[in-house]
Amino acid sequence: MAGAVTYYAGRAPERGLAVYTQKVGMWVFLASEVMFFTSLIGSYIILRFGASETWPLPGEVLNIPITAINTFILICSSVTMVKAFAAAEVGDKRGTRLFTLATALIGSTFLGVQILEYRELLHEGFGPSSGLYGSTFYTMTGFHGFHVFSGVCCLFWASWKAFRGGYDNRAYKGLEVLGLYWHFVDLVWIILFTVVYLI
Amino acid sequence: MATIVAEPTGRPVVREPHELSFIRKYIFSSDHKVIGIQFLFLSLFFLLAGGLLAMMIRWQLAWPGQPMPLGSLFPETMAPDGIMLPEFYNSLVTMHGTFMIFFAVMLLLVGVFANYLIPLQIGAPDMAFPRINMASFWVAVPAGLIALASFLVEGGAAGAGWTSYAPLSAMPEASGVSLGQQMWIVSLVLLGLSSILGSTNYITTVINMRAPGMTWMRLPLTVWALFITAILALLSMPVLTGAMIMLLFDQTIGTHFFLPAEGGQPLLWQHLFWFFGHPEVYILILPAMGFTSEILANGSRKPVFGYHAMVGALVSIAVLGFMVWGHHMFQSGMNPLLATSFMVSTMVIAVPSAIKTFNWMGTMWRGNLHFHTPMLFAIGFVMLFVIGGLSGIFMASAPFDIFIHDTYFIVAHIHYVLFGGALFGIFAAIYYWFPKMFGRMMNEKLGKVHFALTFLFFNLVFFPMHTQGLAGMMRRLYQTTGYEHLEGLQWTHVLITISAFGLFLSGMLFAVNFAWSLFRGPKAPANPWNATTLEWQTPSPPMHGNWEEVPVVYHGPHEYSHPDVADKDWLAQNERPDVVSPARP
Amino acid sequence: MESTETAHEHPGGQAMAGDEAGHEESHAHPRYMLVWLWLALLTVAEVAIVWFAFLPRVWIVVMLLFMAVWKALLVALYFMHLRFEPRRVALLAASPLPLAVLLILAVMMEYR
Repeated sequence: MAGAVTYYAGRAPERGLAVYTQKVGMWVFLASEVMFFTSLIGSYIILRFGASETWPLPGEVLNIPITAINTFILICSSVTMVKAFAAAEVGDKRGTRLFTLATALIGSTFLGVQILEYRELLHEGFGPSSGLYGSTFYTMTGFHGFHVFSGVCCLFWASWKAFRGGYDNRAYKGLEVLGLYWHFVDLVWIILFTVVYLI
Repeated sequence: MATIVAEPTGRPVVREPHELSFIRKYIFSSDHKVIGIQFLFLSLFFLLAGGLLAMMIRWQLAWPGQPMPLGSLFPETMAPDGIMLPEFYNSLVTMHGTFMIFFAVMLLLVGVFANYLIPLQIGAPDMAFPRINMASFWVAVPAGLIALASFLVEGGAAGAGWTSYAPLSAMPEASGVSLGQQMWIVSLVLLGLSSILGSTNYITTVINMRAPGMTWMRLPLTVWALFITAILALLSMPVLTGAMIMLLFDQTIGTHFFLPAEGGQPLLWQHLFWFFGHPEVYILILPAMGFTSEILANGSRKPVFGYHAMVGALVSIAVLGFMVWGHHMFQSGMNPLLATSFMVSTMVIAVPSAIKTFNWMGTMWRGNLHFHTPMLFAIGFVMLFVIGGLSGIFMASAPFDIFIHDTYFIVAHIHYVLFGGALFGIFAAIYYWFPKMFGRMMNEKLGKVHFALTFLFFNLVFFPMHTQGLAGMMRRLYQTTGYEHLEGLQWTHVLITISAFGLFLSGMLFAVNFAWSLFRGPKAPANPWNATTLEWQTPSPPMHGNWEEVPVVYHGPHEYSHPDVADKDWLAQNERPDVVSPARP
Repeated sequence: MESTETAHEHPGGQAMAGDEAGHEESHAHPRYMLVWLWLALLTVAEVAIVWFAFLPRVWIVVMLLFMAVWKALLVALYFMHLRFEPRRVALLAASPLPLAVLLILAVMMEYR
């Protein structure tokens, strides 16, 4: 019948993404983070591409071996993060505690190494005002570091909660959502490491 | 087939048992309705502030070098003897744009109505993340305060235009403003954060919190518009934030992103800014389009003509909106291939915009028109949006754009879409949803006078600017006298300025109406406009948690004058089909 | 806001403690250590390519980009569980990528 009212005909209401709300929220937020890092990394790519004089190769300025190890450290923290979530999901409270704290500590190690790297570079006279290279390098890695720092703060808070038994096989959403953020930060570093340190 | 299936039943809303303290209820509230109203007062304040700045700009343009009325109130650094300095004029223009775009119109459209309407119209008790929502407001407040305070610091407020093109904005020694410019950046970074937090919330809420039966194609067009707007803000705001941070670093820690002397690229700023800036334009118009669609349907007592096409047009405007940013920069000497593709993609946007315009007319066509104040403003929106949209098509063409670049033609265009478009939509929405927000009606007579005067003065102010622009009146000119080609135009400046004062006074009429109705307006019923969407099916103002029980949706969003319903000309979205009185058995 | 949340319990939620492969088939935990091994190997390979630099520079750049994307995908698909989420979540996650590519490529055109 043309123009009939489309009555609710017994079908299930649309379920959105069929994912719980906090996870949708985190993914939506990460979408905006992608654009944020696009503006920073994109500017670097564009500035380097359009630079009139030759851009020094990263190896001539930056310390690649240390950063490669640091990359490995951050990847390890992603594994412990996912292990923490897996442990919480099956109700393994001891594993949750252990792996959450490990992630926080490994993340702090990453930050520590980055601070040492900055100190060394600044000591060599390579600072944020050292041409476009310095500008882009410190802005990109600095904001990534800021994200790691925020993540580490949340992770210490999560560890504290885990030690008080806050996560189990019914309450693991917080860890999963925090994990999404943490893996995203890792993912950005994977791109940054390649684009800034290797190419 | 009108299959009637009476299920599922609504679930009771879990409500907080205890009374909240005053501070938790009205100041640090996580209730989306309170946050929406907080945003309303914040943004109306900035609308007033931006308007006052505009009045001062207009004074200078009509009577350059004459002391302003009350000009003696300003310190020597701004206006000695009441005559404004060029530097102060630059700050006025910059901050007028900043206040109006970021703090007035954007907050009015998104902060106020997305917060207030999304949960109510989709049948949710609150936002997905109420506390993040609260944070989004309380980040916007310091952003506004910092922008206001920048007038008071040494060197005055930012003066590089609301677009803050580098290298002017990146070199304090060039613009004469250092701290003011940095405060401007910090303010907008904070506002961007607020906007991202808000958008995350709106998108998640629309995706996951819809009431049973509220399918995507039953969402009111307002929700669709706000949803698409939130996506635009979510993906474009961070780019601005990134660019702003680079600009701040250029000023403070000596980086060289936008400084050509050190190899930086000023054009990069323009690209990043407009990659945000053009979606921003649609952030500022799409919600107004949503309000208009809904109010036109209500005032015409007809369903929105071409609901699916309207949704499709919204989505395609949003997608295309990301591919056209370069049309703001034709003059920059960009790659001609790039310029051509931007030109074509810009012109393509005319198609979905025209779909919307014709559908609005189709909605009104042979409707049972009720000219209440919201309806008048909605019709005004359509008329003025058409004018602004048409001049937009002119500018999309690169050769013509290069001719009128940085003239008052651009000023006319932006005000036709931002004032004639967005602000008319906002006025319509405030008159329409005021009863729901505050439980009182606004004065209808005063509202109609407000509309008539605003419409008249608006056109008197901004239409002549087209001619001025074509005659070569430059956009950021401080001193209009002394140019041979502008001498014949001075009387139009006087006309515009006098009309602008009239426009401001008619705005004051709105302020009076608003304030008076807030306390003295007649009590509003739950559904004063006989509207169909969910927010009207709960008391005015709605209680904490919005619903007695979560509504179940059976119908499309704008079911006016439905042939199956006999005794009234509207069908609420949650009306049970077995209760509706059938006209035909 | 539990009342209206269309909460979808993670299928792993009811599974018992213990082995990792013992969950219902499609939601078994990926072998995280294997992914970790891959990530480590790819990082070593990346550094090695740059270190020895026996290829033309264009090839190095292409291979590095390829491996970076590969690593990013490993993280997104396994650590962030995108492989095991509904398709729409992956779509949401990928939605900003075309914009990012568009922005960078369009502005790069300014310099050629």
